[in-house]
Amino acid sequence: MLISLNWLKDYVDVQVDVATLAERLTLAGNEVNRIHEQDVDFEGVVVAEVKSLRPLPGSTKNQIASVSTGQSVAEVVTGAWNLAVGDRVPYAVPGSRLNDRRIETKSFLGVPSAGMLCSAIELGLGDDAAGILILDEGATAGEDLRQLYPRDTVLELEIKSNRPDLLCHLGIAREIGAIFNVPLKEPGISKVRPADASDLVRIEAPDGCRRFNGRLLTGVTVAPSPSWMQARLRAAGVRPISNVVDITNYVMLEAGQPMHAFDYQRLKDGRIVVRRAREGEEIACLDGKTRRLTSHDMVVADTERAQGVAGIIGGAESAVQKETTEVFLEAATWEPRSIRRTARALGLRTEASSRFEKGLSPALSLAAVDRAAGLVAELGGGKPTRSTDVYPGPLKQPRIEVGVDRIARVLGVTVQPAEAASILERLHFSIARSDGVLRATPPDFRLDCTIPEDVVEEIGRVYGYDRVPSTLPGERSTVRDLYERRDADEIAREVLAGREIDEAVTNSLVSSSETPEIGIPARPASFVRIDNPMVENRDALRGSLLPGLLEALAFNARQDQPGARLFELGGGFWKKTTDVVDEPRLLAIAIHVPLGGKEAAAELRGLQATVATVRNRLAVASTDFRQAEATGFHPGRTAEILDVGGPIGIVGEVHPATLARFDLPGRVVAAEVLFDRLAAGGEVTPQARPLPRFPGVRRDLTIVIRGKTASNDLVQVIRQLGGYTLREISMVSEYQGPQLGAGARSLSFRLQYQADDRTLTNEEVATLQQRIIDGLKQRFAAEVRS
Amino acid sequence: MSVNVGDLDAIAVDARQRIGAASDEAALEQVRVELLGKKGALTGALRGLGSLPADQRAAAGARANALKGEIETMLASRARELQAARLQTLGDQEWIDMTFVPSPVRRGHLHPLTLILREVKAIFSRLGYEVALGPQVEDEFHNFEALNIPQEHPARDTMDSFYVDADHLLLRTHTSPVQIRYMLSHEPPIRIIAPGAVYRRDATDPSHASQFYQVEGLVVDRDIRLSDLKGTIEYFARSLFGPDRRIRIVGDHFPFTEPSIAAAVSCGICGGAGCRSCKGGWLEILGAGMVHPQVLRNGGVDPDHYSGFAFGAGLDRLAMLKYNVTDLRLFLENDVRFLKQF
Repeated sequence: MLISLNWLKDYVDVQVDVATLAERLTLAGNEVNRIHEQDVDFEGVVVAEVKSLRPLPGSTKNQIASVSTGQSVAEVVTGAWNLAVGDRVPYAVPGSRLNDRRIETKSFLGVPSAGMLCSAIELGLGDDAAGILILDEGATAGEDLRQLYPRDTVLELEIKSNRPDLLCHLGIAREIGAIFNVPLKEPGISKVRPADASDLVRIEAPDGCRRFNGRLLTGVTVAPSPSWMQARLRAAGVRPISNVVDITNYVMLEAGQPMHAFDYQRLKDGRIVVRRAREGEEIACLDGKTRRLTSHDMVVADTERAQGVAGIIGGAESAVQKETTEVFLEAATWEPRSIRRTARALGLRTEASSRFEKGLSPALSLAAVDRAAGLVAELGGGKPTRSTDVYPGPLKQPRIEVGVDRIARVLGVTVQPAEAASILERLHFSIARSDGVLRATPPDFRLDCTIPEDVVEEIGRVYGYDRVPSTLPGERSTVRDLYERRDADEIAREVLAGREIDEAVTNSLVSSSETPEIGIPARPASFVRIDNPMVENRDALRGSLLPGLLEALAFNARQDQPGARLFELGGGFWKKTTDVVDEPRLLAIAIHVPLGGKEAAAELRGLQATVATVRNRLAVASTDFRQAEATGFHPGRTAEILDVGGPIGIVGEVHPATLARFDLPGRVVAAEVLFDRLAAGGEVTPQARPLPRFPGVRRDLTIVIRGKTASNDLVQVIRQLGGYTLREISMVSEYQGPQLGAGARSLSFRLQYQADDRTLTNEEVATLQQRIIDGLKQRFAAEVRS
Repeated sequence: MSVNVGDLDAIAVDARQRIGAASDEAALEQVRVELLGKKGALTGALRGLGSLPADQRAAAGARANALKGEIETMLASRARELQAARLQTLGDQEWIDMTFVPSPVRRGHLHPLTLILREVKAIFSRLGYEVALGPQVEDEFHNFEALNIPQEHPARDTMDSFYVDADHLLLRTHTSPVQIRYMLSHEPPIRIIAPGAVYRRDATDPSHASQFYQVEGLVVDRDIRLSDLKGTIEYFARSLFGPDRRIRIVGDHFPFTEPSIAAAVSCGICGGAGCRSCKGGWLEILGAGMVHPQVLRNGGVDPDHYSGFAFGAGLDRLAMLKYNVTDLRLFLENDVRFLKQF
């Protein structure tokens, strides 16, 4: 909302500098985003009309403009080419001044130039330096430009959506009056109206129109509006058009009520019908576009067809034109939801619609019509002849009881009842006070106050939140849930960072068609889809974090950062039933190995160790892996991660074919687990056991096997055969090489034997070792060396 | 073998000469072994004492023992000299270039959103807050209606939602629905923060993204006042940005709080004078207010007995302000050159 300080001063005396004014308005909830101050002081610049243009002999850059100020014609050399004959332009005559710069007659290539034509930036009226400022057609040649552009300061305010009453100069003036405790000077409006003509308007859709005020004026002369009005409209960012149209805009910017003016003679039967549009009904709008409406949309029609989309835009057919002599002024109160729906359906947001959809008070429209009719009579010579006010359900403002103690209870500061009452009265509330209670009735232009808290907010924001003390809530919190929460996330993050893996956060939105199939196998096959995606390739919610991480690895490789190592801890979206979406927390890790096969195998082992380390820090001592196959993963290099209940994740090398989809050279090893399962088991509290009283015996075992025998299976057999005396089995090393022959692998284990009640004898251990060796030979056709 | 005093004298002369000639501690040790070791000259001479006639044996023994003492003294003295000489040149002998520092052990870097959330959590956990989480796929009741945002409410304009193909579900547009969920499942007193991803159909630019991060706060208890909210915001903002920052509270409007406020901290770059990074010296950090009585009721809390405050801040915005990140898009791009700065 643009607020002109010049205009504002009609209604309130601003006694502070503009910075203070802006600060106080902001504190009270009306944020001033910018202060535009004109920074060029000019004098003697007038409006001139371009009569002719011709090239400056000997120059390709400049031309000679012949301009008229009404009384005289002058020739001015200009470097601008955006001019056309008939344009009104700002003309700094010889002897005029732009700040400290005197403008004189100057010679260009021997041709005298009497003064100069000015661009917007030269006059401080805009940022455009490219060409001459083209003024409105209505500007009168010879008029001082200061009439059109008086020195002014314009505040750019951000008005909250619950306060449409502040989208006007009078509204802001009221706020200033309340904040600084200065009186408001309301514009004098004649309340003399012609008799009510009830047949002028028929409301067929009362649910969409709360009030409809109309006024017919005859004998109107349409002409440009006076320059003071044009200047104010311009300051508020509205282009002047003609006196009648300008008046409707002026009244809106003054008091907040959007209006429309019809050429009455173009309304069929001279009657207004307020109704829903017929399905598919078309209307040619003021902006030159034809729109097709539905039966949800409200229209202002004559007896035949729609002449305006209610509260949004007027129709072209009945628009006020130069020849118009009979003007029908409309000020209505439209149902906000209906306006919003239509504006959205039409993709058309106008000054009027954005006000109506916030919910305007029906109390505004009568005063607005009175004000506009008065101005049309004054500036366009018209005479009000007929009037109408359809207002079946008059506004009844609530009387809100606010206990004085409640103010302190909500704000935490004691505002004296007299001060609270004064603040509310300055905001035009009616107040009745009695023993500790304020009965506050909001002013009729405000619909946003209905409960005591609303009234307390009004007191608080004008009293000043800077005067509220700073306290903390009392120390009464329960300890109940503090026990439950253990920050598994943070522990996992630290472990992963310690393993040289960087944390990523990838987009939850993915492409349903282009996302390769890879991820934790437990996820459902189909995506949760977005009904209204912004872009085609973000039309679904991720089921796995891996595609996002792979994309990030590829992105980094393209940025000349190959070998990225990333993890992400985040949510997946799994559709459970048609209306339930599960959001499992997933931990995914992806490591880019720019070179080929062997390094990838080593990285993969490292990744398994990483997963096991995270699990070890969070829950249980060891993690089991089971050789597996999964879509998107290497068929020979993939394992399921297991807990006691079954698989909780997947780890492996990404299938080269999947990787090719990301255009990522090299290999990638990756894992994804259900984080809550990985972290399950609760915090492990160590339980001390007595130290062994007798020495144990350590033996190494090297097994040579062929084919795809999983070492997990070997361990199981060893454990089984070793019995209670075999306390610990650790995998030590793995070897593949020419000495062993093709397809053979040697695996070394370290076995720790221990008895509780005696020192083990060599014979005892040898017997056990032999039993294990025999078992392995038999079960796996393994060659075993002790 | 027999030993006479002359032999001992010869050993003494030889020892003095050789001890003096030892040029370093290793050579001196060698000399010591040759003189006093198991096969050393003096040791041999002492062993030979036994073969002497008894009358000579005592004198020769005394002489030999005295000589042993002399040699030990000479060795010790020479050892001190040599050590002193060595220590004198220690710096030259054992010099290492101490400015050639190996890189620290490589570690992974945590995401800035994790780091900022950690700080926020730490601050609020000091105040006794718990962390509550809610689903990202929400329903209209929790995301809008229970928060006083019915269909066609203007506030929906600023929260254009992604709808999900399941019935009446959408991606939450703010973390505020966690307020409702938590109130419905817990009795007051309530003191929580609720961080997480939120989604709006906003075009992407340096300060907007369709996926971003918020942290919500909710306190419900008897007798909670705006002054408590103000104090909490000040404590939070100064803990996060530094004790010298000023905090400004201004009026605002949200459908789910009444009164509503917004908080800003003084700009750290210009100190509050106004610069390109801030708005008139202030940086907005959060919106807040006293929980609207109807919202309390929607959460199953009786507003006649309880009151509360709520606040919501952009986690990414806090991270941008604190870590000087100028483009929101960097957070989801995962460029390791960016991640490794944290």
